[in-house]
Amino acid sequence: MSDAWIIGDDDGVVQETARAVAELGFRPLRAHANGSIDVDQGASSGRGTPDVAIVLGSVSSVQSLRAAPDLQDVPIVLSLGPEQLDDADPLVGADELLITPFAPAELRMRIARARKQAHGVGADDVVRAGTLELDLATYQVTIDGRPVDFTYTEYELLRFLATHPNRVFSREALLTSVWGYDYYGGARTVDVHVRRVRAKLGAEHAQRLKTIRSVGYRFEILE
Amino acid sequence: MQELDDTPEAAYALRTAKRRDVRFVRLWFVDVLGLLKAVAIPISELENALERGVGIDGSALDGTFRGRERDVIAVPDPATFQVLPWTPDERVARMFCAIRSPDGAPSPGDSRAALERVLAQAAELGFELQVGAEVEFFLFDRDGGPTDDGSYFDFQAQDSGSPVRRRTIEHLEGMGIPVKASHHEAAPSQHEIDLVHTDALSMADAIVTLRAAAKQVAAEHGQLASFMPKPLTGAFGSGLHLHLSLFEDGENAFFDPDAADASLSPIGAAFLAGVLAHARETSALTNQWSNSYKRLTPGFEAPEAATWTAHGRSALVRVPSNRPDLPDAARIELRSPDPGCNPYLALAAVIGAGLRGVEAAYLAPPADEGEPSAPPLPATLNEAVDALAGSELVRDLLGDRLVDAVLRNKRGEIEAERATVTEYERATLLRRL
Repeated sequence: MSDAWIIGDDDGVVQETARAVAELGFRPLRAHANGSIDVDQGASSGRGTPDVAIVLGSVSSVQSLRAAPDLQDVPIVLSLGPEQLDDADPLVGADELLITPFAPAELRMRIARARKQAHGVGADDVVRAGTLELDLATYQVTIDGRPVDFTYTEYELLRFLATHPNRVFSREALLTSVWGYDYYGGARTVDVHVRRVRAKLGAEHAQRLKTIRSVGYRFEILE
Repeated sequence: MQELDDTPEAAYALRTAKRRDVRFVRLWFVDVLGLLKAVAIPISELENALERGVGIDGSALDGTFRGRERDVIAVPDPATFQVLPWTPDERVARMFCAIRSPDGAPSPGDSRAALERVLAQAAELGFELQVGAEVEFFLFDRDGGPTDDGSYFDFQAQDSGSPVRRRTIEHLEGMGIPVKASHHEAAPSQHEIDLVHTDALSMADAIVTLRAAAKQVAAEHGQLASFMPKPLTGAFGSGLHLHLSLFEDGENAFFDPDAADASLSPIGAAFLAGVLAHARETSALTNQWSNSYKRLTPGFEAPEAATWTAHGRSALVRVPSNRPDLPDAARIELRSPDPGCNPYLALAAVIGAGLRGVEAAYLAPPADEGEPSAPPLPATLNEAVDALAGSELVRDLLGDRLVDAVLRNKRGEIEAERATVTEYERATLLRRL
C-alpha cells in the first residue's frame, strides 16, 4: 500500500485529511516536519519514504522535510489558508498547492499531479517505461501485459528506482530507502538484488537498470 | 516459535499467490544428500504454513539410509517464493523451507540451516561471502545414450540439447537466477551453465533450482538431464567449479591493490590455505559419491592433490589473475566439487575451512607445488569418508547429527557397491579366470 504522510498541528484537520487520503487508497501516517513519524501506526520497520507528503499550513515544514537527504524528491502537497498567501515564497519546494478549504476531489487531483511530476506515477497509480508497467496499487508488474513475479525486496527495489527515474542512487542510499534503517547486510546485497531484477526484466528492460560505475544505479525512462 | 506471518515478505508472497491464482505451493527442502524433497500444500493452507509451518516426517531428511523417525516442521521462507515457470499455466509456486524441531529450534538435520550457521559465523568476523558457480551436466536420450557428439564450445544447429539448455536458462532468469554464460562442454552431450555470483545461501538454492529446472525441461523434450559426476567411461566428467570471495565493508577482501599479477591479499591467501589444508576432510561433501572419484582420475583436468595455480587447469584451486581495474573480481576457483553434491553442505564445509584459515592465519603453500609435498586428495569415497570421520573441523561446522547422517549414508553406499559385481569385472575376468 502507498504511504501518505500528513504533517500538521491541528489534530482535527489532520484526522479529516487522513480520512480523505485513506478513501483514495493510501495508508495515512502522521509525521513531523523533521521527518520522523509517530510509531504504532502500522508502519513497517524503519520509517521508509512516503509516496506523498501532505503538509497542512506550514511553509517551514516543507523546507525542513526537503532538508532530509532521502526526502528531497518526495511529492509534497502544501495547503495554505488564503491569509498565508501574501507572505509565502512562491518557490517554496512543494509540488502542488491547495487553498483551504479544499474539496476531497481537489486533494485527489493535487496528489496525482504531484506524484506524476515527482515520480512519473500516472493517475491510475501505474508507472510506465515502454512496455514495462508497475501498478503501485496492486503490486503487479507486467511486460507487454504479461505478469512478471518478483519477491518483496526485488519489487520494492524496482519500485523505488522506477519512481525516481533517471537519478543515480548509491548502494548505501538504496539500502536505506529500500531495506530500511535497521538493515545490517552489506552493500553487496544491493548488487545481488539488482542482478535478480535484471534477470526477471529480460533483455528489453534489463538495460534500463544501469550500473553507474563507482557510484551506484540508475533506472532510465527516456520518453 | 518465531512468528512469520506479519513480515512484509510473507504478506507479499500471499498477495502474489492470490493475484496469480496459484493453486499449490511446493515446500522445498533437501535431504542430507542434497536431493530435492517437496511437500505440496493447497493455496488455502499457505497462510497457515507461513505462520506455523507444516509437520513432516523428519526421516525424509536422512537420505537413503535412514535413522529413527522424528517429527519436524517445515517453515517456508517467504523471500524464496517463486511461481514455477515450467508448470502448466504457472499455477504452482515453490518456497524453500527451514526445518525446525517441534519446540521451534532449528533442526540439527537441516542442511540449509547448517550453511546459514556458517555464514552467520562469517558475518560475525565481518565477512560476506560471494559465490559463483559453473554447473556442468549431461543430456541423454531416454535410454541413457548421448544426444550428440559435440565438443567444447561447439556450435551445432542439430544439437538436440541446445533447446533444453536455452529453455532452462529462460526459466532460471525468470525466477531471478541470473545466468552469466552457457556453452557445450568437452564431452558428448555435456553442457555448462554459469551462474552469476551471489550470496552463498542464494547460490545453494540456485543450484538446487537449476537441477530441478534442467531435469524438468529435459523430460519435456524426451531427454534426461543428469548431474552424475562421471556418466561416461573415457569422457570428461561434470564439475561444479565454485568461485569464492569474501567482502568486508563492501570491499573485496581478496583484492590486494599493491600486488602485481595473480596474488591474493593476506586474507585471501589465508582463506586459500584453509581450503587447501582441509580439502581431504571436505572431499566427502564436495564429492560425495563413489562415482565422484571416477571423475577425479588423471587425464581429465580434474584435481588430484591439494594444489593451487594461477594458470594450470588441473590444480584443486585456480586463482585467476588479479585485474587492478576489477577489484571485485579477485577470487579463488575451487575445481574439485561436482554437481552431485549437497550444495549446502559442500559450501558450508569449504567456506568454514577457508574461514578457519583466516582465523588461524594459515600460510598458503607456493603455487604449482605438486606432489609429493601437496597432500593428495582422496582417491576413493572410502578414503574420503575416513577423512571426514576424523575431521573435527567439519563436526564443528555441521554438527554431529548431519555428519553422522552423511557417514551412515556413505558407508551404506560403499557396502552396497562392494557387494555389487560390475560390468568391468565381468568384461575382464569372466572369460580369463
